[in-house]
Amino acid sequence: MTDDLAATVMDLPRRDARDKLRGRTRYTNDRARPDMLQAVLFRATVPAGRIVRLDLSEALKCPGVRGIVTAADAPGQYGIGIADHPLFAAEVIRYHGEPIAAIAADTLEDARAALAAIVLEVEPVAPLLTMADALATDARPVHEDWRSYDVLTEGGARSGNIAWEAKSVRGDVDQAFARADVTIVESRFEVGRQSHVPFEPRVAIGRWEDGRAHIEASTQVPWTVRNVTGRVMQLPPGRVRVTVPPVGGGFGLKFDASIEPVTALLARMTGLPVMLENNRQEEMATCLCRENAEIVIRSAVTADGEIAAREAVVLMDCGAYGGEQVFLTTMTSHTLAGNYRLGAVRVVSRAVYTNTPPNGAFRACNGVYNSFAVERHTDEICAAIDMDPIAFRKRNVLRDGDPGPTGQIFEGDVLGPMLERMDALRAKTGTLKERADGRLYGRAMAVGTWFIFVGPSAATINLNADGSATLVTSGVEIGSGTMMQSLPQIVAGQLGLRPDQIVVREADTDASGLDVGVGGGRTTVSIGAASMGASAEVREKLLRSAGEMLQTAPRDLVLRDGRVEIAGRPGSGVGIPEVVSYAQSTTGPISGTGSFTAKNTPAMSGCAMGHFIDALDIPVFVVHEAEVAVDPETGHVEVLAYRVVQDVGRALNRRAIMGQIQGGVVQGLGYALHEEVTITGDGRIAQDSFETYRVPLAQDVVPVVADLYEGAPSIGPLGTKGAGEVPILAVGAAIACAVARAIGKPVSRLPLTPPRVLRLLHDIEPAPALSHVARDWRANTLIP
Amino acid sequence: MTVTLTINGSACRFTGDPMTPLVDVLRRERFLTGTKAVCREGFCGACTVEVDGMAVMSCLRPIGLLQGAAVTSIEAMSTGDGPLHPLAAALEAADVVQCGMCFPGMVMSLSSFLRDSPAPTRTDVKAAMAGNICRCTGYERIVDAVMEFVGHRQGVRS
Repeated sequence: MTDDLAATVMDLPRRDARDKLRGRTRYTNDRARPDMLQAVLFRATVPAGRIVRLDLSEALKCPGVRGIVTAADAPGQYGIGIADHPLFAAEVIRYHGEPIAAIAADTLEDARAALAAIVLEVEPVAPLLTMADALATDARPVHEDWRSYDVLTEGGARSGNIAWEAKSVRGDVDQAFARADVTIVESRFEVGRQSHVPFEPRVAIGRWEDGRAHIEASTQVPWTVRNVTGRVMQLPPGRVRVTVPPVGGGFGLKFDASIEPVTALLARMTGLPVMLENNRQEEMATCLCRENAEIVIRSAVTADGEIAAREAVVLMDCGAYGGEQVFLTTMTSHTLAGNYRLGAVRVVSRAVYTNTPPNGAFRACNGVYNSFAVERHTDEICAAIDMDPIAFRKRNVLRDGDPGPTGQIFEGDVLGPMLERMDALRAKTGTLKERADGRLYGRAMAVGTWFIFVGPSAATINLNADGSATLVTSGVEIGSGTMMQSLPQIVAGQLGLRPDQIVVREADTDASGLDVGVGGGRTTVSIGAASMGASAEVREKLLRSAGEMLQTAPRDLVLRDGRVEIAGRPGSGVGIPEVVSYAQSTTGPISGTGSFTAKNTPAMSGCAMGHFIDALDIPVFVVHEAEVAVDPETGHVEVLAYRVVQDVGRALNRRAIMGQIQGGVVQGLGYALHEEVTITGDGRIAQDSFETYRVPLAQDVVPVVADLYEGAPSIGPLGTKGAGEVPILAVGAAIACAVARAIGKPVSRLPLTPPRVLRLLHDIEPAPALSHVARDWRANTLIP
Repeated sequence: MTVTLTINGSACRFTGDPMTPLVDVLRRERFLTGTKAVCREGFCGACTVEVDGMAVMSCLRPIGLLQGAAVTSIEAMSTGDGPLHPLAAALEAADVVQCGMCFPGMVMSLSSFLRDSPAPTRTDVKAAMAGNICRCTGYERIVDAVMEFVGHRQGVRS
C-alpha cells in the first residue's frame, strides 16, 4: 500500500449522521416558509389525446392563486440524445399524469382547490400501451413530429416509435450459428418496471433573483437541472443557478430534470419564492422507473462449452419520452456480452415510445435485468449441453486480453479470480440447505458486468489559514456517503490533513465547475479524480512557500499530520497554518483546481453503432450467490443466505461499502421478488402508494456477506471504482437462477411473486411470446 | 376548532380543521421538520412521534383527538449541543445512516420499543422495525447496531 493509500483508507463515520439522527437536517422539502407560494401540477387524466381547449380564466380568479404557467411559458424541449420532451403538454398528451399547467397559490389548499377550475377539453386518442402495440406496422407515432426534433447526440438510428437504436456487431455470427458442432439455445425474457420510492419525493424551490433563476432542488444532477431549465425557458443556462441541500434518497430517479424548472417559471411570473413537491401518489404515478423490457438471446455453443456466437434483441420501454433509455441502449451490449468470451456477437437495443409514464435511470439501470436474462440464459445453455453451471462460468468469463462486444480489449483477470473468491467465501460461511426444512431448495451463483459512468467533473480547493481546506464541487450527498467519506478522505490524504479538516461545500452551480451528476457509481471516481488534481496544485503551492520559509527544496518536503516536514525528519518543518499565512502575504491565498473526464477507451472500428460510449473506461464486475427456499404450497420464496464478491478497485472505506452492498442487495431482492409495477388499461401505473407497491421490510431481509475484491485495473483515483451502484446488479440474476433450480422450471419473468411462482410450479405460467421480435436478427434493426 | 396540547414540553394551541393530521401541525405550524411525512398512510413509520408516551404515526392522528395530549418529537430526544439519545449515538457510531429520512421515525419507534423490552432478541428487534421502512440500508446493519446497544446496556446494568 502506498503512503497515499495508507493515509486515505479508514472507516471514517459520516459527518451528517448526527443531524440526520436528531431531525435537524433540512432536506429540500423541509424548507417551506410561510412567505413561500405552494405550487401544484394540473395533469392529464388520459394516456393519449389532443388538447382542444385549455381555459385558465376561472382558475386565475380562485382565492389565493398568484399565477398559472403552461406550455406557452416554456416553449423549449429537452432530452437525452433527442430533445423530445416539453415541460408541459402543449397540443398532444402522451401519458396519463403528464403536466399541462402549474398553479402557484398562497397555500397548498388554495392551489389544489384551483385545479378544479381549470377547463380542459381533450379529444382522446387510442393509446399505445405496450411495445408490441407501438412496434406494430401500422402503429400511430407517439411523436408525430419526431423528425423535426433537435438531435443532441448524433449517431442513433431512429424511426417512428423507435426513439433510438444502438447496435454492436463483432465477427461473423451467421457463420458460427451455421456450424455443425454447435447447439443453439434461445431464451426469451420479460421484466416489469421498478419504482425507486425515495423517501424525499422530487421537490424544488424556485426564486427569481437579479434577473436569474435560483432553484433549490432534491436532485442528483444540478447541472442538468440548470441546462434543462435554460432550454425550456429559452434562457442561456448561465441565467439559472441550482443549489442542492441534502437529498433524501435518489437511486437514479433524480438523475434527470423533471418538475424543477416549473418553480423558476412560477417564481419569475409571481416575483415570489415557489415550492413544488410531488405528493406520494404523483411521485409514484410519474416515477421515472427502471424500464420494463423484453429480451431475446440466442447462443451457439459447442459440446465442451465454448460460446461460438451470441445474438440478442432488447426492447426497452422509454414511455412517452426518450430520456435515459436512449442512453441505455448503449449499455445493453456491455451487460449482455461483456461478461463471457464470445466468438462472435451482435446485439440490437431499441428504446421504444409508448403512451405510458416516461422511464428513467435506476441504480445499475438495464444492467440489472440484462444480467438476469444472460444468467438465466447461461443456465439454460448449461442444461442443454449438460455442463455444470459453475464450471461453465469459470471456463467462459472474460479474462485478460479478451474482446468485449464492441471489440474493446479487457485488461486484467478479474471475474475468474472473483469466482474463486466466491468458492472461498462459501467454504467459510457454509450453506443453509438445512433451513429449507422440507421446502424446495435452490442455490445459484451469477455474474454481472457494469461500468463506472465517468464524464466531466471539476473541483476547487481553498486552503485556509486555520489549516482547514474547503472542497468546492457540484457533488450532491444523496445518502451514499461519498461527499461525507471518500472525498474528504481523499483530499485529507493528499494534503496531510485530517478528514474533519476538509469542509465539503454543497453543490452550487455558481460556485463550482461542470459536473454530470451523482450517479452511475461515478462520484468517488470522477469528483475524486478532480479533487486529486486540485490537491496536487494546492500541494505544489504549499511546498513552494514552505521551501522558501525553510530554505529547503520543495522536493525534500512532505505533508504529514498538518505539517510540512523535511522528509525523513518527523516533527521538523512548519505547521500548514503558518505556511498558508506566509503564502497569503507573499504570493496570495493558496487554492487549486482540478478536472476530470472520460478517457474514451476505443472500440474496434465499425463494431459500435449508435452508442453514446463505444467502450467502457472502467468496467466493474460482481459475483453473487443466493440460497432460497420455495414453499410449494404458497409459492413464497424465502432468501436463506446471500453472498457477494464485488470488484471495488480499491476500498477507501470498507464499512461504508458494506453498507452500500447490504442496501443495494436488498433493493435488488425487492425487484426480484415482490416490487411489481403494472400498467392499467388507461395507461396508469397501478401501484402508486406504499400499500400497493411492496418494498422490502426488515423481516424480509438477511445479512449479506461480502468480500471486496481489490486490485482490478481502474483509472479512478488511487485505483478506486464506484461501489454504491453495482450491489444491485446481479440480484435478479442470482435469485431467478436459484428459484429456477429449486422448482425445476424455467424462470423468464421478474418479479417472482408467490402467484407467479405457483403458476410456474403448476405449469400454467405462459412463456413470453414476444411475437413482435422477428426471428431474423437483422429484421429487428432499422439499417440491416 | 381549537385544541391545546403540549409539544416537546411547550404549550401549543391549534386553531383550524380538527382532521388536520398531527404531522402537518408539527411540520407546517411548528416547523418541527424532523418528523417526516413520507407515505401519509401509516405504512412507512417516518412520521413516528410519541403521544402520551406511546410511539404512534403522526400522519394517522387527527389533531382534534389530541386535546390535552403530550407530544414528543425527534427534536426533543436531544437538546442543544448536548449528547445524542443513546440509541441515536449507537446508530451514529456504527455508521448506519444513509439518506437519513427514515431515521427520526426509526429512533422514535425503536427507543420506545427498547424502553419496554429490556432484552430483545434479533427477531424481536426486526419485528419491532416492521413498521419502519428504510429504502437505503437493507436494515441488517441497523439491527446489528441495535443489538450492540442492547448488549452494552445490559452490560452496564449487570
